[in-house]
Amino acid sequence: MVSVRSITNTPSSLTPNDLPWIIEHNEERCTLCGQCAAVCPVSTLKLAYMRKRMPHLVLSATERGSAYKTFVGIRQSTEIGKRCIGCGSCSLVCPNEAIQPVQNPGRDRFRFVNNQLGEPAKRGGRRNVPGASLLDRIIFDRISMLTDPALDAGRHEFSCNTLLGRVLPPEEYVRRKLAGEWIPPVREIFPFVIGSMSFGALSPNMWLGLLQGVAYCNEVLGIPVVMATGEGGCPPWVLRSPFLKYIILQIASGYFGWDEIIRAIPEMQCDPAAIEIKYGQGAKPGDGGLLMWFKVSKLIARLRGVPEGVDLPSPPVHQTLYSIEESVMKMIQTMSMAWNFRVPVYPKISGSTSAKSVLNNLVRNPYAGALMIDGIDGGTGAAYNISMDATGHPIAANVRECYLDLCAQGKQNEIPIFAAGGVGKNGNVTQNGMALIMLGASGVHMGKFIMQSAAGCLGTESNRCNVCNIGLCPKGITSQNPKLYRRLDPDQVAQRVAETFMSIRTEMKKIMAPLGRSQSLPIGMSDALGIDDKDVAERLNIRYVC
Amino acid sequence: MSKVIVVKGLDANGQRISSKNFEELVQKAFAKSSRLKLETYGQHNVGGRLKNGGKKVEIEISGPCGQRLGCMGMPGTTIVCDGPASDDVGYLNIGAEITVKGDATNGACNAMAEGKVYIGGSIGARGLTMTKWNPEHQRPELWVLGSVGDTFAEFNCGGIGVICGIEAKNPKNILGYRPCVGMVGGWLFYRGKNDGSYDKKSVMAVLPDDAQWAWLMERMPAYLKKIGRTRLLKKLSVRKEWMMLISIPPQDRALMFSGPMPMAEFKHKIWNPGFGGGDPIRDLAPGLDRSPIGMIETGDLRRRQPFWANRDKAAPCAYYCPVHIPTIDRLRLFREGKGDEAYKMLLDYTPLPASVCGYVCPNLCMQNCSRQLVDEKIDVQMLGRASRDAKAPKPAKSLGKKVAIIGGGPAGMNAAWQLAKAGVEAHIFERDQQLGGKLAQVIPWERLPKAIWDSEIQRFLSMSNIKANFGVAMTKEKFAELKKKYDHVIVAVGTHQPRTIPFPGHERVVPALDFLKSAKSAKPMKVGKQVVIIGAGNVGCDVACEAYRLGAQQVTLVDIQKPLAFGKEKAAAEALGAKFQWPVQTKEVTAEGLIDAAGQLIPAQTVIISIGDVPALKFLPDTVEVITVGGAGWIKCDGAGRTSDPKISAIGDVERPGLATNALGAGKKTAEAILAGFKGEEWKDFSLQLIPQASLTAAHYTPEPCSGSSEAAEAERCMSCGTCRDCHLCETICPTQAISREKLDGKNYRYVSDPDKCIACGFCSDTCPCGIWVMRPF
Repeated sequence: MVSVRSITNTPSSLTPNDLPWIIEHNEERCTLCGQCAAVCPVSTLKLAYMRKRMPHLVLSATERGSAYKTFVGIRQSTEIGKRCIGCGSCSLVCPNEAIQPVQNPGRDRFRFVNNQLGEPAKRGGRRNVPGASLLDRIIFDRISMLTDPALDAGRHEFSCNTLLGRVLPPEEYVRRKLAGEWIPPVREIFPFVIGSMSFGALSPNMWLGLLQGVAYCNEVLGIPVVMATGEGGCPPWVLRSPFLKYIILQIASGYFGWDEIIRAIPEMQCDPAAIEIKYGQGAKPGDGGLLMWFKVSKLIARLRGVPEGVDLPSPPVHQTLYSIEESVMKMIQTMSMAWNFRVPVYPKISGSTSAKSVLNNLVRNPYAGALMIDGIDGGTGAAYNISMDATGHPIAANVRECYLDLCAQGKQNEIPIFAAGGVGKNGNVTQNGMALIMLGASGVHMGKFIMQSAAGCLGTESNRCNVCNIGLCPKGITSQNPKLYRRLDPDQVAQRVAETFMSIRTEMKKIMAPLGRSQSLPIGMSDALGIDDKDVAERLNIRYVC
Repeated sequence: MSKVIVVKGLDANGQRISSKNFEELVQKAFAKSSRLKLETYGQHNVGGRLKNGGKKVEIEISGPCGQRLGCMGMPGTTIVCDGPASDDVGYLNIGAEITVKGDATNGACNAMAEGKVYIGGSIGARGLTMTKWNPEHQRPELWVLGSVGDTFAEFNCGGIGVICGIEAKNPKNILGYRPCVGMVGGWLFYRGKNDGSYDKKSVMAVLPDDAQWAWLMERMPAYLKKIGRTRLLKKLSVRKEWMMLISIPPQDRALMFSGPMPMAEFKHKIWNPGFGGGDPIRDLAPGLDRSPIGMIETGDLRRRQPFWANRDKAAPCAYYCPVHIPTIDRLRLFREGKGDEAYKMLLDYTPLPASVCGYVCPNLCMQNCSRQLVDEKIDVQMLGRASRDAKAPKPAKSLGKKVAIIGGGPAGMNAAWQLAKAGVEAHIFERDQQLGGKLAQVIPWERLPKAIWDSEIQRFLSMSNIKANFGVAMTKEKFAELKKKYDHVIVAVGTHQPRTIPFPGHERVVPALDFLKSAKSAKPMKVGKQVVIIGAGNVGCDVACEAYRLGAQQVTLVDIQKPLAFGKEKAAAEALGAKFQWPVQTKEVTAEGLIDAAGQLIPAQTVIISIGDVPALKFLPDTVEVITVGGAGWIKCDGAGRTSDPKISAIGDVERPGLATNALGAGKKTAEAILAGFKGEEWKDFSLQLIPQASLTAAHYTPEPCSGSSEAAEAERCMSCGTCRDCHLCETICPTQAISREKLDGKNYRYVSDPDKCIACGFCSDTCPCGIWVMRPF
């Protein structure tokens, strides 16, 4: 007999079948070592005891009855808060390949109920749109076949770097030089920049591992990589270190960590690479930064100058700025003056149909060093799903429009545009970046990609893992709990950063060589771009190929 | 020796012969002689492809030489060019010895596989590129007296280059810019300065070893002789002036170039010193250990920890029972073979286990019994009845206190019982001639067998500290006297004033209380054939049963709402044929029966009203606050029965109507609160939380058809919610053997988990049948 009370599910209960990720457990192979349950970041895995009835069904037998057998298996919790996130940490530690999360092939009802207690769903990661992105589909189709000097990516020397900062027209440069006037600061940097991820959004081991890798790229490999801090300040020792020159310090509406930065200015050994003023982010335009309380550890609280364990929202707007002009005036001038006009200062905005207005204001501002536009496919550590999935502007058309606008004014070589948002979304980081560069960007920022490449981030566009927001990152990338982030070895992160940039540089050459370009980055070289979509080709003003 | 044939590069008219025609002339001449003098005039691809069956072929070149001198040169061919040569000397040469007395321009020896090229001057860019070497043949050689241009020896696979640095075109850099990119084989000897731009992934600079030095010196005189500079031999024989670039084998390269600098070295030499030689966040987080750990850890690095939370939570039986009788403990005693203790234990909670637990109570304890996850709930009635013959406990040492209890119903009885047990004199003042209140007065004997009741009353009265006074009608004066004489007074008079409704004919209606009391008396009242009962609760059902017993043929229970009757009472009434009718609002009661609001008659000779009773509290002093609910006054008191008068407590139905078990529970609680007061202790209410059923593991139990219930069988079936069964399953399942059982003093024990072994998988918690192990984050 089986008690009716043994079924505790109600019609509104969720079953594994309704969840985004289903645990497949092979009881035959399982050795019951407990490692999967121990490692599971959300404690969804449990040892389940199940009972099997084996009735005696022999026709001739006179005695009736049933035997029962208890068996065990690893099962997942169906509680919403403990659902499997598909990270696969269980598979990582299973000695017998007995367990793995499998994506629900379409029966997932979870999205209908993940808005518990009136709070819509939030996550980390990117807009979940699997498949080839538009940038993935852009190809480089103008190949130098005997018509130009052939270049060999492996043999020839290439200049892969770009410029960050206001580039004066030659006659103006000469005039100022002769007159001894101020010349805007310009940095020669590698065009693939590690985009803004704060000390706080990232764990200490991740953030410092990235910086270590960046320092290695510069000092050992000679690749002038820079990284942006994000809005969470910068550890005081780093501010006073010789590695500050590889760092773009970000200032945003929350002003987190800026007291430490200002305090450190007199003691800095070198200037930072640049200052980024964040007005918006591609993943969640019009929504500010958000460091959820899970991640505001003692260390983070100390660095940011806030109480421990509180939610830290950066408002979507800077409280005292009401117009582009004012913002340019207040922020760019203040930041430029802080380092005596030796450091390029530029704003970062969300991709938007209004990007051109911002750009044109910057063009007229003598201190603006660049414009950074972050498109809808950008990643984030925490955002409402609705913002991430449905708000923003794709980067390609945005950058292209801005660049062509500069061309029309003859200013395309003067104010660099940096682009971000989905660069390397499917692993094709160099292709995506070079496509944006050839559409008119001077360089690109990448965030999620470097987490995936350098630290084994498990997040995918199929919503695997993506729990950066709640501090449970199984790889220790976005956790502030030492029990998690110590899983990440900063030296290995640094090593992977170095390997990643070495290979990006090689891939850049593999793209540039066939184009016959070796001595300057092919910024705006859109005659070499093609796409198999007529409408896109027309919109981007590139060649339609098929 | 054949005769030297001269082939001219200009025709009779002094016009240049095309390379194609010149080649035809050369091949024609070669058919006649293997010694040719070619007076070239810029013809290309001269000197190659001359095969002579292994015999020597001697070619002398004079005049301006075109490109690709000696292209596809064959073994045995010797070419000597008087002056300089143009691009690609020795292109695809597979064996010819080519001497250029002057300089050669770009591309010398491109794709050469064998043979020698001797240059008497310097060469241009891209010399010795993409050479080959077939081990069955000699290595190709390029000898240059001066310097080489940029991008020398790219993809050199087998060629040996010798760059002597004499009269170099660029004495500061005799190897040119970025030589040896992609060079995978061969050697380069060089003598003189270079800019160090050679491809360090492909080649490394070494000093020639003895064999290599011998190789060079062995061949040097021949080279110098060919280019006519024999006097340089001495100058070129200074070993210390020579260096070599040799290709790095791929295996070595993999080892050398895991990175230009190992990360550990970078960290030590560059990274850490950048922060003054320490962790860059040591000021923000002093002592923070950021060193790498594994995915699975023990000790303090676990994110959660198991706790053996034995008896931390209440089993449903104890939780839902108003008296909080821990049935799981009774059953544990049976499992341990201590049945007597189990019976006695029950008497610690109630003096009426057989009557109430065994018969009257709807057994709230069992409505939530966890065993229902497996099969059926534990038979707690059987357990209650089994305590019928247990002896009353011996009272504790006298506390020298006296308590007056007004009313000998279940509430008053348990208060008296608890007080008496604890050494307090409990004086009961009962209006009736018997104890038990409504249990005795109105519950039909069918539902509560008289023999059992009597034996329990007997046991109750056998308690020496209990004094029962019967027939005491309480008045204000009497109450004041009791309050004065006793240390505390408990009001437990229940509700003995029937509630009625003043509809026309209400005087014809018999209150249920009166009816039931009468029915149980020696001379029960008569009932008509048709009986209507207004109020279809459980008391109404009791009334119906009694009415049938007393001769009624049709009993109808009416109610204005859905009848509240449930359980045994309802079943019993229905079994006898009672009908329930609702909604019925009584308009009038006449001799014919009940007339409802619609004017419909429900015929009845007897109409009984059973809509509850209210307290009769006229004797209460004004110090006791009373609240009025539903037109009746009820004593206001707290969870321990304390009223607004500190010397007076109130329990049972006088506070709020409830089950007999509620009354027993209230009696126990109040007695304990009073005792705590006597002893000067703080009273603590039952405060355990209910154990979540999900924390139990029901699959360990095998479903069994109900065995007809014996204490032993029920003891085995009990799931011991929240209390360790000492089953050792946790010890068994723990994958790291972290859990062990520890003996404490006496029979006590505990299970502990060793933090140095535990990986916090939670298997103990998932396995524990009783829900003892809990995982808590830390």
